[in-house]
Amino acid sequence: MTELPTSSDDTGSVATDSVDAALQSLDDEGMVGYNYAYLDEHTKREVRRSMLKAVAIPGHQVPYASRPMPLARGWGTGGIQASLSMLGPTDTFKVIDQGADESVNATNIRRLAETTADVATTTDTTEADLIQSRHRIPEEVLTGEQRLVLQVPIPDALRTVDASDAANRRRHGHRNYGKMWVHLYENVVEYGEIQIASRYPTMVADRYLMDPSPIPRWDVPKLDDADHLTILAAGREARIYAVPPHTAVEPLAFEDRAFTVERFPEKSCHACGSTDTYLVEVSEELGTDDAASFETRYACNDSSFCEKRREDPDLQKDHHLERDEVQWGPMTADADAGGESS
Amino acid sequence: MGYVAVTAGAEIIERAEELFEKQRVAGEDADLTVEQIDGQLGRLTDQAMSEGGLYAPRLAALAVKQAQGDTVEAAFLLRAYRSTLERFDETAPIDPSDMVASRRVSPAFKDVPGGQILGATKDYTQRLLDFGLIDGDPTDPTEAWDLPEEGDPEELTNVTEVLRSEGLLHEPDAPDVDQPADTTRESVTHPADRDEILQELARGETGAVTALGYSALRGYGQVHPTLAEVRVGDLPVRIEHPYTGEEVTVTRTRVTESEAVVPVYEKRENPQFAFGYGLTFGRNERKAIGMTILDASTQLETAAEPAENPEFVLDIVDGLDSFGFIEHLKLPHYVTFQSILDRIRAIRSRANSNDGHSERQPAESATDPTGDND
Amino acid sequence: MTLLEATDLEVVYGSRCHECLSSTGSRAGTNQCVNCGSVVACARADLSLEPGDVLGIVGESGSGKSSLAELLALEQASEATVRGDLQYAGYDGNLLEIDYQTRHDLRTSEISLVHQHIRDGLNLEFTGGGNVAEKLLSAGHRSYADVRERVSDLFEETEIPVDRIDDRTNTYSGGMQRRVQIARALVTNPDLIVLDEPTTGLDVSVQARVLDMFRRVQREENVATIVVSHDLSVVRLLADRTLVMRHGRIVESGLTDRVMEDPHHEYTQTLINSVI
Repeated sequence: MTELPTSSDDTGSVATDSVDAALQSLDDEGMVGYNYAYLDEHTKREVRRSMLKAVAIPGHQVPYASRPMPLARGWGTGGIQASLSMLGPTDTFKVIDQGADESVNATNIRRLAETTADVATTTDTTEADLIQSRHRIPEEVLTGEQRLVLQVPIPDALRTVDASDAANRRRHGHRNYGKMWVHLYENVVEYGEIQIASRYPTMVADRYLMDPSPIPRWDVPKLDDADHLTILAAGREARIYAVPPHTAVEPLAFEDRAFTVERFPEKSCHACGSTDTYLVEVSEELGTDDAASFETRYACNDSSFCEKRREDPDLQKDHHLERDEVQWGPMTADADAGGESS
Repeated sequence: MGYVAVTAGAEIIERAEELFEKQRVAGEDADLTVEQIDGQLGRLTDQAMSEGGLYAPRLAALAVKQAQGDTVEAAFLLRAYRSTLERFDETAPIDPSDMVASRRVSPAFKDVPGGQILGATKDYTQRLLDFGLIDGDPTDPTEAWDLPEEGDPEELTNVTEVLRSEGLLHEPDAPDVDQPADTTRESVTHPADRDEILQELARGETGAVTALGYSALRGYGQVHPTLAEVRVGDLPVRIEHPYTGEEVTVTRTRVTESEAVVPVYEKRENPQFAFGYGLTFGRNERKAIGMTILDASTQLETAAEPAENPEFVLDIVDGLDSFGFIEHLKLPHYVTFQSILDRIRAIRSRANSNDGHSERQPAESATDPTGDND
Repeated sequence: MTLLEATDLEVVYGSRCHECLSSTGSRAGTNQCVNCGSVVACARADLSLEPGDVLGIVGESGSGKSSLAELLALEQASEATVRGDLQYAGYDGNLLEIDYQTRHDLRTSEISLVHQHIRDGLNLEFTGGGNVAEKLLSAGHRSYADVRERVSDLFEETEIPVDRIDDRTNTYSGGMQRRVQIARALVTNPDLIVLDEPTTGLDVSVQARVLDMFRRVQREENVATIVVSHDLSVVRLLADRTLVMRHGRIVESGLTDRVMEDPHHEYTQTLINSVI
């Protein structure tokens, strides 16, 4: 076992000559007592080393010592550690949760980064150097200059068929995914089609089975042969894995029971009119005296793109790029294999 | 045209924090001091230290105050703080017999060298609400005791040493590394070694450790231990002096320690007891004993019951992991929910269009109307 | 072209000292080494198999027949030391020393084992069809319709009611579970099937039907088979040739008819005469 050097070698730590002094310094100086980007340099280095290993072995889960963070386990601590280990003062940072910049969780994470890493933040996907996201990949195409960090609750796709981590690690090591295939077969037997909603199991570089995190199936094709790097980080489970740029990512399916994305037949966003984005339902009470009458409307989930579309309904998902034939998820104009007929 | 979205700027989060703080504000009553909490609610601070993995009674009292008594929240504050601290050194290994025990009972024997010392405990008294405490009672009932002169604390022979000297305790295999693992620095992978298991149990949530230990006794397990010893006392913290290189005691920590023997014979030709160990910061006897049971259970070769399965035990025993993941369910999940709605609607419409035909037709041909993939 | 050729196979549990082989065996009357306490499950075993052959291995408990059968099926006996040479048609080198991946591929498509205990061979939570499909899916078949069709075919072949195909395997009777094991063993058209005590846990009438079914299928598919049993009638029904084992050694071998009618070794004679 390697001997780890003792913690930080920086000078920004909290006063520790006495408890009173520690409490005092924390009270007075707030975040000033912490290192740049909150984590000490040793931790950041370790996280980056794990990320490099993950990039070298696409889809393979790399264990790392996930540090306690000021946010609870389950609220994105893995993603935050990944982001804070990569952010530098010249970066622009975007954080979304469920596709929205303004959601509570995203706001809180953005606050932490702003205060400790002194980075600029943005809601514009095309302006961001680093995007941390919980459960969505933005609608606008990401480039090779951008990095995406996805928050992961459960890092192992095989957890559905076996709770034991030890057994699953052996399966991954031997590329033995028979049990997952039987699970899919029995899905089709039971329901006529594959019933998996999100966390759809995918093969990465034809070698490792990966859980893409709870992004909707709509977003899974965006990982295949992407220009950008995707890092997937789980804090509570203490695992990091990655999809490097231009890596094959293939959702598991039968030849005659193809992988399908979510369908929104004859629906469009009530705010901007889009028919080619991932929509979510919103139920509103009709402001009448009718008891319990609701109206269900659909809205773009990617709120910052929706805002742009409201200005310009013809805006393409690759509007910020100069090239054509961008492959990026369902219904991106010029994407190969087209999209759904709506 | 209204744009419906859930927005919560920083201002709203601040408001929520202020509302939470309001619940704690004393108003016209006197504000609880950190000393009061540490002094009069010692069990709370002990539990926070034990689950936070940080021995710092006053900081723990502060954390308890800030968390309004929620021990897991307090442990969270301590762990988050701990992770910002620089690690100066590691202690020298401590022999538990160096403990100055204020309490030591040994259920295995009627009498033991050093005696059965009840110490401070309510184990044998009746649980009757004491209404006299409403108005407070600051008198110290031990003031009237007639105590002999102070002397050095007696050496208490460790009961399990007595069994060891007779060769009755199975010695575990020597570990094949020089240093114990540090699970705050390296994440656990399974199968886990005993040092990793013990660390995670020592920081485990009291309720989880107790419940799992109970399950083993209750019948979901083979381990019915006899406690060799339960001690509460102060354990010295020793480091190598940076100049002289000698071992010096720098402080003491209060701990609860528990050791058990299990009549599960390891080898038939030379029967010996299996052995379980538990240790926690502060006074927390049920957690130390629960830990002992789980240590013994997870060492068994079979993992027939949950308490005997090291992977199961380690996965669920950490209070911060369980608290975080359970409470994260309150976060918005509407994106994945939309995905789930899509699935169930598709399946229902397929079932309806099949019109009563069984879906389970072998070799049914697949027609997928939307066929979208790469 | 010989399908399988085994020389000097040996399975030992324990430290294996220099006296292990000499102090165990049929003459010694034990399979446990006096010197070091190791159990010599089988030793000095030679045998060969042609395509389509059926070889029976008989013996009582502790004879080593199951250890030998598992070795030939490339099962990994984790605590045992394994020695010897095993040659298989189409593969270079000693099959006992191959890497994990080749072993896995062979066991998926070419060599199947029907375990004695159902729980070792099937996943009782899966459907019956799922258990059989697993082999095909592991071998890389990706058409649901084709997999489904092949699984149904196998159900018919092994005389399991096709309408039970989607029921959980733990709802099947013992006989049906045994048939699912056999269906699973056959689904990838293997060259060799090893049956380990195929009648364990089955009622007598069910035994007969299962064995008749297997005999028919074996002849139709011409798949080489090794059938291990303590029950002579099972071997007599299925096997062309038979080996008799005792205390880890092969004591007699020959055509089944000859071994049964005219046993040479005195142990075989005892065995035959003991049949009620």
